[in-house]
Amino acid sequence: MNNDPYAVALKNALTEINNICADVSRSFIFAKDRVIATGDPEPDEETMKKTIDSFQSVAEKADAIGSLKAFYVNGNKGKIILSGVNDMYLALAASEDADTTYLHSVTRVIIPTVLKLLETITPTPPASPIPLQSEPSKQLIVDTLSGFFVGDSVQIDTELLEEWAKLLNQKSISEVEIESVDGEATQCKVKEINDSKLKGKGMIRIPEKVCKTLEVKKGELVKVKPAST
Amino acid sequence: MSAKNKSKNDVEALQGKLQSIKGREGIIGYILRGPNSASIDLKDPTKIIDYAILSATAFEAGQDMSAMFEIGEVESIITEGENTKILSRVVNEHRLSIFMEKNVDHNRLCKDLNLT
Repeated sequence: MNNDPYAVALKNALTEINNICADVSRSFIFAKDRVIATGDPEPDEETMKKTIDSFQSVAEKADAIGSLKAFYVNGNKGKIILSGVNDMYLALAASEDADTTYLHSVTRVIIPTVLKLLETITPTPPASPIPLQSEPSKQLIVDTLSGFFVGDSVQIDTELLEEWAKLLNQKSISEVEIESVDGEATQCKVKEINDSKLKGKGMIRIPEKVCKTLEVKKGELVKVKPAST
Repeated sequence: MSAKNKSKNDVEALQGKLQSIKGREGIIGYILRGPNSASIDLKDPTKIIDYAILSATAFEAGQDMSAMFEIGEVESIITEGENTKILSRVVNEHRLSIFMEKNVDHNRLCKDLNLT
């Protein structure tokens, strides 16, 4: 565990929160992909890593709601609270009877106060925030490509490819990521739609083999974005 | 009445209630996804895919975290964004996600939908 002044101060703050709120069983603070501080008792490394991974997977898809600020899971034996505090996130596991409103008010006062105090004492921030870079993407309607010579490339409108290339400051877009409603995703080479009748209709033409991978059928919607290079 | 028929009736009743709350101030829409079908009603249809992917990911993350922290069966998940939040619940074999503005009282909504 990190021994810098931030981590030590935050660990003490978490311990105090645990003392005030007996219902809190485990707690830790993280930013991006690393744990900054843990409460007492310390959650195991694997739990923390998997929690961050799960949270990140939601954060990556949260552009539609204007970036992820908090995530709460209520179970019949307890609850989990993950909430943004300044540039970091606080994760708390508490018993089912825990007073969530009280917990929120305590954490929203203690952690920011400690952070503010630290900022006045030490010049270096603890970690960079979770990147919330928004990528261009588009919902397109699936049309299947079949035949011997279709290859592995998908086809979409030239205008869209040019728009993305311009937005990303690239010469051209050669590959795209496609994601189905069920979260099945794949990366494919992309070409412009060659059938003039299908141009400008918000379609993506996908080879049957790729449709099977994505478990999508003709007429369904998929999310398409340029592949990160 | 068989358990299967009761479940079907419950879901139909829920769909009726969802129709009645969708016009309320702050309600953006909902996705009710069953094993073989889905009902989607969103004010902005261009966001269907984004919302569907986000709600599916939230369910998955919620289940994973529940197992890791041993908090038992997931009753509800709240995903909060800048101005919008999602209430996710499992109703019978259906996954319900209601999208709303952040200031909407989701606990009240659950009571109105008999989801408590």
